[in-house]
Amino acid sequence: MTALVIDDEIQIRRLLRLALESRGYTVREAENGQLGLQEAAFHRPDVVLLDLGLPDLDGLSVLRKLREWSDVPVLILSVLDQENIKVAALESGADDYVTKPFSTAELIARLAVIQRRRVSNDSPQLVVGPLLMHLDRHEAELAGHPMKLTPTEFAFLRSLARHAGKIVTQRQILREVWGQQGDGQTHYLRVYANHLRKKLGGKLVIRNEPGIGYRLIEPG
Amino acid sequence: MNDHRPDPDALLLQVQREEKQGKSGRLFIFLGMCPGVGKTYAMLLSGRQHQNEGLDVLIGVVETHGRAETLALVEGLPILPRQKLEHGGHTLEEFDLDAALARRPDLLLVDELAHTNAPGSRHLKRYQDVLELLDAGIDVCTTVNVQHIESQVDIVRQVTGVAVQETVPDLILDRAHEIQLIDLSVEKLIQRLSEGRVYLGERAQAAADGFFKEGNLTALRELALRFTAERVDRDLEDIRRAKRVSSPWKANARLMVGVGPTPYSESLIRWTRRAAGRIGCPWLAVWVERTQPLNASEEDLLARGLALARRLGAEVIHATGDDIAETLLEVARERNVSQIIIGKADRRSRWKASLNDRIIAGSGDIDVCVVRPLIGRPSSRVNPPPAGRIAASQFHEIGMVLIATTLLTALCWSLQRWTGYTLPALVFLLGIVLMALRVGRLAVLVMASLCALVWDYFFIPPRFTFHVSDPEDMAMLVMFFVVAISMGHLTARLKKREIAERRRQIETDALLRVTQSAALAPEMEKGLSQALRIINSVLHAESALVVRRLDHSLPSEVHPASTLVPGEQEFGVAAWAYGNKQIAGRFTDTLPQSELTWFPLQTATSVMGALGIRLDREAQGLDFTRRQAVEAFALQLALVLEKEHFIQAVTHAELLEKSERLRRTLLDSVSHELKTPLAVIRAAIDGMGETAKDPYVVEINTASKRLQRLVDGLLQMTRLESQIVEPQLEWCDVHELLDEAVSAAGDALKHHPVRTEIAPDLPLVKTDQALLMQALANILHNAGVYTPEGSAIEVRAFHSDKQLHLVVSDHGPGLPSGEESKVFGKFYRAPGSPAGGSGLGLSIARGFLRELGGDISARNKTGGGAEFEITLAAEFMSESSHPIPGLVSEP
Repeated sequence: MTALVIDDEIQIRRLLRLALESRGYTVREAENGQLGLQEAAFHRPDVVLLDLGLPDLDGLSVLRKLREWSDVPVLILSVLDQENIKVAALESGADDYVTKPFSTAELIARLAVIQRRRVSNDSPQLVVGPLLMHLDRHEAELAGHPMKLTPTEFAFLRSLARHAGKIVTQRQILREVWGQQGDGQTHYLRVYANHLRKKLGGKLVIRNEPGIGYRLIEPG
Repeated sequence: MNDHRPDPDALLLQVQREEKQGKSGRLFIFLGMCPGVGKTYAMLLSGRQHQNEGLDVLIGVVETHGRAETLALVEGLPILPRQKLEHGGHTLEEFDLDAALARRPDLLLVDELAHTNAPGSRHLKRYQDVLELLDAGIDVCTTVNVQHIESQVDIVRQVTGVAVQETVPDLILDRAHEIQLIDLSVEKLIQRLSEGRVYLGERAQAAADGFFKEGNLTALRELALRFTAERVDRDLEDIRRAKRVSSPWKANARLMVGVGPTPYSESLIRWTRRAAGRIGCPWLAVWVERTQPLNASEEDLLARGLALARRLGAEVIHATGDDIAETLLEVARERNVSQIIIGKADRRSRWKASLNDRIIAGSGDIDVCVVRPLIGRPSSRVNPPPAGRIAASQFHEIGMVLIATTLLTALCWSLQRWTGYTLPALVFLLGIVLMALRVGRLAVLVMASLCALVWDYFFIPPRFTFHVSDPEDMAMLVMFFVVAISMGHLTARLKKREIAERRRQIETDALLRVTQSAALAPEMEKGLSQALRIINSVLHAESALVVRRLDHSLPSEVHPASTLVPGEQEFGVAAWAYGNKQIAGRFTDTLPQSELTWFPLQTATSVMGALGIRLDREAQGLDFTRRQAVEAFALQLALVLEKEHFIQAVTHAELLEKSERLRRTLLDSVSHELKTPLAVIRAAIDGMGETAKDPYVVEINTASKRLQRLVDGLLQMTRLESQIVEPQLEWCDVHELLDEAVSAAGDALKHHPVRTEIAPDLPLVKTDQALLMQALANILHNAGVYTPEGSAIEVRAFHSDKQLHLVVSDHGPGLPSGEESKVFGKFYRAPGSPAGGSGLGLSIARGFLRELGGDISARNKTGGGAEFEITLAAEFMSESSHPIPGLVSEP
């Protein structure tokens, strides 16, 4: 597996190389946006780690250019923790983000999640830990027991489970579940997240990231 | 045009009226035919009813006249204390407008709308107080008798012979939300009178003799009934029009009345107002200014007429032209007038009749309505006697005339040797004509008489007698006078026109100069003082300028350009003029005791301040032209000030944007520079694996975590202080919020059991979840660090009346007593606190909460430990206001 690190800080690049190589990645580096795009075009990495603050191009524009021809998983690294920037990155096609300073373990886990997502998209069944969703029959089982879900709750849970472990933006969920009318109606999410949490009973956690979106994760 | 379609203008008017009523207070009027029918009683009764419905009802002023039933009703209603005014050694009690405005009741009861306020009050009349209350959005109940309504005054005088002095304009009745007629049969009223239940004691008898005659009362009752009926009719009309019911109503009716300097104008104006009121159409009052100047009493009559028209709601138009009929018709056509109201010929019959005839002849498709006017009050001002005293300049002119006559006589005497006695007559005539161009009418007449005498005595045979036999000579003598009179008249008119023209020229020039000096001056201050100097010289006055501050309040100091510093109390008048966008002060109905007349500096969009004008002490009043001139000046000044204001605002905004951009860039790069090395350190420690257990590395790890907290805190603090924190409001679940806060507080809570208790009925709350979560996390972190390991920390969440409460309580040592509020200070560290804190956490928490419109307080619990309470004014979600699709239909 090849990982491309696009960051202007040499120390960060060196550290990431150490951490990733120890887990079996082949690492390529780029110190600015232009070089990063070239690297991505020539070497077709399996995953990209992109810093938002680059000296030549704005990280967001690098992301958008990359997305014009590639759907390689992208993890954003940034020192900025303002929600609007994270949302902008996610809506421009990033798969997830990590804020600096980060813990290496968390970074590796996120990378694994965004790469895994590519595998099971066409299957009529979705499995997240103890949760099994039959997309064709609109039924769900939790640890072998059938769950009683309303159609809206099912759609909500499906939206989260499709991207399990990865953040799903508020807008994305609202669009998927309610369509056009859902835009801006964040209170729908609060109410249904609450319902679902009760029904999941702690076997799966729906974590809210304020102002950004939700993440379905396994506890622990 | 399609008759079935409602007139859009009328619809718009109705919408505007409704909108206006929505914002301002509602007016309820209890109308009666005369005192004693029970208006006050009915008003109090309705007040009590509203009170029972839970409204805050307040008695502003009520005259009980000692009537027992009325007194009984007052019991239990709160009464606003009256203000005491000192006037001429007496203490007068008056309705306290300011107290009422400050107290803001739901409904205010104000008796006797037509009352004239005691001197020293803000307004001349009580109805003006009521208008101000309505504009402030307070509902008002009031009472009035029909004879006090301005448009009914003539009729009342005709019927009862009593001229009513205290009147209220019809405009205020038009603003009424509801008019309720309090009716009582005449017999019952007289019975009540005789029982002494109306006026007490002696006054009852006096009243019965004068006003309360049966005939009068019947007429007044009819008047009151008709007035109410007309209004009901009009309301119906409004409804019908709005509901597209076709009606015989003439869609674009507009009445017009000419206002002249005659005592008849007032009654014509009232008549027009009544007619316009009946049809519910707009009306114009037109004053045609002629070149002929008016004398004092005419000016007074004119001013009174115009003021009345304005009070009654007319649009007052000022036109100029020497031909009154032509000018009136011109205005009428221009303004689409449907009917012109003129007065029937009066004693100046010849002139008036011709005016009426000419209006009728030229009216075309405009209706002309000729009504019989009543003669109104004569002018209170006396004309200066025109010829009683001969002015100095006239002595001078007569001297000139004497010399001219003597010279002419000498010339003719030498001529007559060759010519006979007719040529000297022609020479004298020529002299008269020439002199007429130079001197006044009186002097020319004197000269004509002198010439006639001289010619008769010295030249007509037989000489040296006054005998005239030839009819030709007689005719020539008469000619002298005819020429003198007509020439005198002609020159006088020319001169007057010249004077009027010159005055207008001066005013126009001045306006131009004000505009140029103020608007074009490179420095506004200099331009303004120059402009004020010009205004002063044109009006022969002194002026003070008060300019509003940036926050739209009016300071109590004049602009340095002012040429006069008014007294303390004048600023109150200025503030009123500014606040109400109306002229106030001397020569007006509002605060007339003041020394200055204050004009609001009003542009189309805003009021920039007030301009105070002090005319010289002898000034009798502020006539229409002068007032217009000052208003024009005020507008110019306002425009200049507004322009300056906009320039300042734009510069300020640009500066702000620049510095904000700079701050953001700085903040971003600083956070990048600080966080990158931290990230490297943390990642490096993470990567160490087994080596990380080395005690040295553990120390580095702890220190780097502490450094990270500090950097985060400093950056958050900086963001707060540079005011670039913009809360993003969204609906939040308090359960989520608490969970996140606990996990964000991190290691600090590792050794503390955290108990959360959330009120079961707590709905979603609209706030910035990230900010609130951070604030709560900081408080929890603080609690975790400052309390002994193993002690519990409790978090409670509940809501009360639009406020969210979050209470964090611990079982630690508590806060240092007396310093409970100091813990929120920046870099505050409690004495003896463990190392590791930055002293920023609580300060940031408070900063975030204040950005969200909330606050935080800290106290020690009685049982030990500290308690922090967050209160946040926020919107809560209710099922009805925010329905969620899919939720209702599903189980």
